[in-house]
Parts: sequence; structure tokens; C-alpha cells
Amino acid sequence: MSRKSVANLALVVVALLMPAAARGNEYYLHVYMMCAINTIAAVSLRSIAKTGQMSIGQAGFMAVGAYASSILATKMNLPVYWAMLMGGFASMLLAALIGFPLSRIRTVYFVTVTMFLGEIIRLVAFEWRSVTGGSTGLESIPPPAAFSMGILHVNFANRIYFCYLALFVLLFVILILYNIERSHAGTVLSAIGQEESLSASVGINVASYKVLILCVGCFFTGLAGSLYAHYMTVLNPDAFSIFTSLYVLIYVVVGGRAFAGPIVGAVILTLIPEIFAALKEYQPFVFVLILFLVVFLLPGGLTDLPRRIRESAGRTSAGEAG
Amino acid sequence: MLWQGLMNGLSAGWIYVLVALGLTLVFGIMRTVQFSHGEIYMLGAHTVYYCSVAMGINMIASFGIAAAALFLLGVIIERLLFRRFRGQIEPSIIVAIGLILLFQTVAVIAFGSNEKTVPRLIPGVLTIGEIRIAWDRVLTMCVGAGAMLVLFAFIKGTKLGQAMLASSQDPEAATLQGVNVNHVSAVAMGTGSALAAVAGGLMGSVFTVEPFMGSFAITKGLAVIILGGMGSIGGAVVGGLVLGLVDGVVSLYSSMTMAYIVGFALIVLVLIIRPKGLMGGD
Amino acid sequence: MMAELNPLSSCRSGLQPYPPTTMFETKKLTKYFGGVCAVNALDLVVGEKEIIGLIGPNGAGKTTVFNLITGFIRPSGGSIVLNGENLVGKKPHTIAERGIARTFQIAKSFPQFTVIQNMAAAGHLFGGAGFWEGIVRTPRYRRKERNIQEHSMRTLSFVGLEAWKDAIAGTLPHAHQKLLGVAMALAAAPKLLLLDEPLEGMSAEEVDRALEIISAIRAQGIAVLLIEHNMRAVMRICDKIVVISFGEEIARGTPEEVKQNDEVIKAYLGAASYAE
Repeated sequence: MSRKSVANLALVVVALLMPAAARGNEYYLHVYMMCAINTIAAVSLRSIAKTGQMSIGQAGFMAVGAYASSILATKMNLPVYWAMLMGGFASMLLAALIGFPLSRIRTVYFVTVTMFLGEIIRLVAFEWRSVTGGSTGLESIPPPAAFSMGILHVNFANRIYFCYLALFVLLFVILILYNIERSHAGTVLSAIGQEESLSASVGINVASYKVLILCVGCFFTGLAGSLYAHYMTVLNPDAFSIFTSLYVLIYVVVGGRAFAGPIVGAVILTLIPEIFAALKEYQPFVFVLILFLVVFLLPGGLTDLPRRIRESAGRTSAGEAG
Repeated sequence: MLWQGLMNGLSAGWIYVLVALGLTLVFGIMRTVQFSHGEIYMLGAHTVYYCSVAMGINMIASFGIAAAALFLLGVIIERLLFRRFRGQIEPSIIVAIGLILLFQTVAVIAFGSNEKTVPRLIPGVLTIGEIRIAWDRVLTMCVGAGAMLVLFAFIKGTKLGQAMLASSQDPEAATLQGVNVNHVSAVAMGTGSALAAVAGGLMGSVFTVEPFMGSFAITKGLAVIILGGMGSIGGAVVGGLVLGLVDGVVSLYSSMTMAYIVGFALIVLVLIIRPKGLMGGD
Repeated sequence: MMAELNPLSSCRSGLQPYPPTTMFETKKLTKYFGGVCAVNALDLVVGEKEIIGLIGPNGAGKTTVFNLITGFIRPSGGSIVLNGENLVGKKPHTIAERGIARTFQIAKSFPQFTVIQNMAAAGHLFGGAGFWEGIVRTPRYRRKERNIQEHSMRTLSFVGLEAWKDAIAGTLPHAHQKLLGVAMALAAAPKLLLLDEPLEGMSAEEVDRALEIISAIRAQGIAVLLIEHNMRAVMRICDKIVVISFGEEIARGTPEEVKQNDEVIKAYLGAASYAE
């Protein structure tokens, strides 16, 4: 196995062991859960943004997933596993509906439109009292049903099982998106992001690909929202503000272009507010500082750091030798 | 009733115009959307509040201080942050997003997140027949129209103004003719920010001042310049007034959310029908 | 030596020669930009295996014609017909699917990709796997990938770039970038190739090599519509030439006929450039 595969496997093993290690510590488990949810949203956004569709409305898609799932589970008594899936589909449906018009809009306008979209979804959640509970939102959102497999008794009243559920969803999302990235479709998506008109000249159906990746990404983002809703058991529109959308974008930018970028970005930037919890008020300053440091000094993101270090080390020794 | 709505809409419209003018100025010259423009508006409102209420300075001077301070801030962020990425869309957007977070946090820490009120600029109400307009709103319209005229005069009449116009129409040709793009960009950003500050102060006196008022401004500002044409000053004026009137009327019969949704659909429609195809446009 | 490039083209070598069919033509193709007429009622005809030159002074509208044919701009009037089908109103990727490929005046490639990755993207129509196919690596998927790889390497060899396959496209020297553009256009196995000033900025040896490649393209059964300012090359390689000025045709015919046309000499400054 290559060095990279071993490293990846090790990381997966660590991720698997962590909730068990933190068993009983509600706070650590909560942080783990939020890391997982944020990472799902970030990885999805990165794949979408590869085609030039830089969205600052992902919170809106999470909201759609969260509310759809919660409403199906509470008011229609749908089993929670199905409800969560339907949350993902609801989000994907929205993406499919607006995807084609959106695909024709250039980056600057696209950002604007997604910002509006996110805000509208939040406003709808705020105003549509009868369905979403308005500003007070929804309560008593049920967790997924407990089950037993041999000696394993999974009961979601215990946070640790939520963590594992989120982890498995995350691994699934990573697997799908990574395979798409490595395949011919990934080449096409990257090509679209680099040169849209050239892509069309060589026969690539740009609109279709943009909409497809938007739908896939938003399906996963909706799933993240569903997970969030059933984990928190309460839901209100404040959780899905423009800031949530901006944070997801910042995770992606800080992490960098590589596939691992959003994972690194989401984990680190979810942990930082917890580490600096004492400075809770000033935490956005830290975020902005990191963001500006990356944008100005390390444009490739944190995952680009090893390469930069190697390059400057190479330059230094060449200088000495010369 | 309808006339009342239209009047309210008209006064709101001039505020939209002030915000949109700044956005369109920056877009025309720097080819980027300053997404933190709404936060500048918010900071302007807070400056006016702080000067007039906390420090007891008279209103006109407060507005003057706010305009000058935010002009300076605009120049600073252009020099330090935006200049590096001039012409690059994605990094500029990310920088602006960072500024949104930065400014909001500063406002919350420095001023607190509760709503504050700025004293009425002119108390009382003007009554024309059945329509009652607060004098404040009349003042808003006058200030808005006045600012627009001053801007027009500046662009038509001064060398710097002409340089800005040339830059927005053809940056390369402008450079060849000796226009200092850095200079022009800084002034554009500064002026735009000053306009936003005034708009914020006016809005603050009509409604309230709080750290999250910026998202309203950027949303309206963006809607206006998309409808009126990015980079067009005339478009900002016409678009702002039209949007203000539409908002005024729609809010009489329906909710604000509906107005947002209708506006959103309109904007997406405009963006599609206008040739923004792969090889057309900007 | 020239590898089989275009498995989709019919092979005529064993058949009796007969006049080229009108594979491609434009009829009264017109484009107005506001009040300005950029292209005025242009009739072009390209038969199979023909190399047609489109020449004219700068700003005559030649690249606009290419943009119209490939669907990036919508014509104000007229039709664009490929094998009997009117392509007006179709999207660029559909037109590429129908068999028209192009290069750009300023060579375009995917700057972050290596040369071979560029070819993989450009080979999309040749046999790229669909969006969902890559998620599970079935043998069928692997086969498609291998096909594209082989096809890409063959096409690169055809233009002589195989040694550069792992170079980042943005770092290529100018002439190689142009050749990469041609290779990418060929990757889609087109019936008609539009070349927009392929020889611009090339040295004499590079021009000769490029002309060899263009001849070889024709030999593969691909017709070529060529915009060029290098008159000697145009005269050497084109079967027929159409001369346009201010969007209108002012002459057409064989290179000999066009060389002696008064209108043409008038339109171009420096009749001496025609002297062979």
C-alpha cells in the first residue's frame, strides 16, 4: 500500500476510535459531532465549487434537509432513518429545480443569488409558523430508532451512537465524492471550473454537469442538516443564518484545494472556537485572521503547506549549494 | 393608502440608491462586488449614533464625521486588502466575506447587540392631503437626491471624476491615458463607503441601529445593481427607486418575505435573460 | 507513420474519386451587433476532405464566423448546415457532438492540467465515462479510461507532443500550446475542424511541421476551415479560399484565382505579400 493510503487508513481508524475514547464526556462527543456535520457540508461545497459554483447559501440547503426531516418524523411519523434520507432528497430537489437557471449565471452573480437563496429559506422558516414553528421552531425531534445487533445495543439517547452515525455518513460522502473526483467526471468538473467555454467546445455539457454535482453536493448537505436536527432535537431558523453558510465556505478556503482540504479546514476551524472558548466573543477575529493569513500568504490553503515547505527547503539548499 | 405606501417606498428607495451607488461605483472601477458594503453601512449608522447620542454632537456634524470616517476606512481596506486581488473575482469575494465577519464582531463588541435609536432628525410630520410623511423621510429623500447630484457633478466636473469614469468604461485605455488606477480605486472605495455610511445613518434615524442591519443593505443594494445594471450609476438610481416603490407597495398587501421571494425570482430572471452566456457580457 | 486517428470517418481510399459532397455549408449567415453588421450573408461551402481558407484583413469578422458556427453566438439570420442538419440555435457542446471542433486564436487549454489531462478532458466525446460511472470502478469503466488514454496518446503523437504529456499546459512554449489546441480539437474525432490562426507566432520550421499535420488531418478524412494571415501557407495548403472584408465575401476561388483578384489586392495593403 502506498504511504498515502496508509496515512488515510490510520486517520480513519483514529476517527473510529475517538468517540469510544471520549465515551461519557458529553462535551467532547458534541464537538466530534459538530466536526462531522461541518465536514460533510464542507466536502460537499468543495466539490460543487470546483465547477466555479461558489455558493454562500449552503445553510439554506442544510435548513431544507433539517426541516424536511424533522417535519416528516414528527408530523408524519416517518421512521427517522427514512426521514433523514428524505431530508437529503428535499435539499436535492431544490438544487435540481434552481440548478439549471443557476448554471448559466457567472461566479459573481452566482454568489449573490446563493446568498439571497439562503436568506429566503431562513425567512420562510421564520415566517411559515404553521409548518416550521416560526422563530420558536420545532421541538421534540425524535432520534433514530434504537436497534440491536448481537451484543451491540444502539440507542441514540447516548450521543456516542450519533457520532458514529455521523462518521459513517461522512465516510460514505467522502467515498462517493472522492471516486467522482478521481474519475473522468472529476476531470470534466475540474475542466469546467478552469475554462467553461473550452469545455463546451470539446463537447462537455457544462450545464448538466454543474447541475449534477450541485444536486449530489446538496443531497449530502441536506443529510448534514437532517443529522443536525435529529441530534439537537430542537430546531430554529437561527441555526441557518448567512454565517453558517460563510463558515462552510471559510472551511473550504482555509483547508485548500486538495480533496483533504475541506476536511482539514472544517475540523480545525470547528475545534478552534472550542479551544479558545474563553474568548468566545472574540472567536470570529481568530477566524478572520486565519482566513486572511491563508488568502494572502498561503493561497493553496493549509493542505498546501507541506508542498510549500518542501519547495522553500529545496530552494534554500540549492542556494547554499550554488 | 396606496399613495402612503408609494411615499414610504420612495423614501426607502433613496436609501437603496445611496447604498447601490457605492456598490456600483466599486464594481465599475474595481470589477468586484464589495460584499461587506452592508457592514460599512452598519458601521456608519453606529458612528452617527455614537457621535450624536453618546457624545452629544449635533446631527449634521455626526453625519459628516461618519462619512469622513468610513471614507477613510474604505481607502484603508482598498489599499491593504482589495488592491492585491484587483481583477481576481474569487479572492476578492473571500476577502469581503472576511470583512463581513470582522466588522460585525467589532460592532457587537464595541456597541453591543441591542437595538439603539438615533433621535429623529426633524420631528413632526408633513401632511399633504391624505398622505402623512414624516419629515425625516422627506429629509432622507432630499439627502439621497442631493448626494446623487453631488456625485454626478463630481464625475462630470472634476478631473478625478472623469478619471473614474474612464476607468470604469475601459481600464486599459484609462491607464494608457495616464490614469492612476490605484488612486481611482481608493477614491471609489472611499466614496462608496461614505455614501453607505450616510445611508446607514439615515436608516438608523428612521428605524433602529443594530449590528445586524447590514444584511438588509447588501441584499437591497445587490438587487438594485443587478436590476439596474452593474457599474451603471443611472441604473443604481432608477433601480433603487423602482425597488423602493415595489417594496413600499408589496409590503402593504403582503409580507416582507413574499417581497424577497418575488425580488429573488426577478433577479434570477434578469440574470438569465441578459446575455451572460459563456462568451458574452463583461 | 500517421496513426489511425479517426475511427468514425469513412475510408475512401479504395473507392473511385468523385466530387466532394457538400458536407458543410453556411447559407446567408448574418450577424448584427447592435446596429453594426459583423457578418453579412456569408455563404461558405466545405466538402469532405477539403481545406478551405478564410482570409481577410483584421476585424473582417472571421473569428465571429467561427463563433457563430460553433454556437457561441447566435446568428441574426441564415443557416449553418452540417450533413443536412441545421445547427443554428444548438448549444456549443451539441455542435461539438455533431462533429465540429475548433481551436482558438489565443491558444486555450486547461491551465492547471497536464497535457495528457487536457487530452483526457478533450476526449470526453470520444468515450468519456458518464457522471455516475466512475463511482464504482467496474471493468467497463476501466476499459473506457484505457481507451481514452490510448486515444489521447495517439493524438498527441499525431501532432508530435507525446514527449510533453506530463507537462503542465500553461508552461508549454507558444507553438506547442497551439499544437495542443489542435490535438484537443482532434480528440473529439470531428468531421470538420475550424482552425483559428494556427500558425500565428510560429517559426518557419514550425509552420512547415504544422502544415504537414494539417495535410495529415485531411488525409484522415477531416475537413478543415482555416483562418490564417500567413499567405504563403494559405496558398500552399488550401483547396479553395474565401476572402472576406467587413463581414462580406469579396472573392472566392482557388488560390491562383484569388491571388490575381483586384478586389482582394485592394483589400489587403501590400500586394507584394502575394508574390510567390
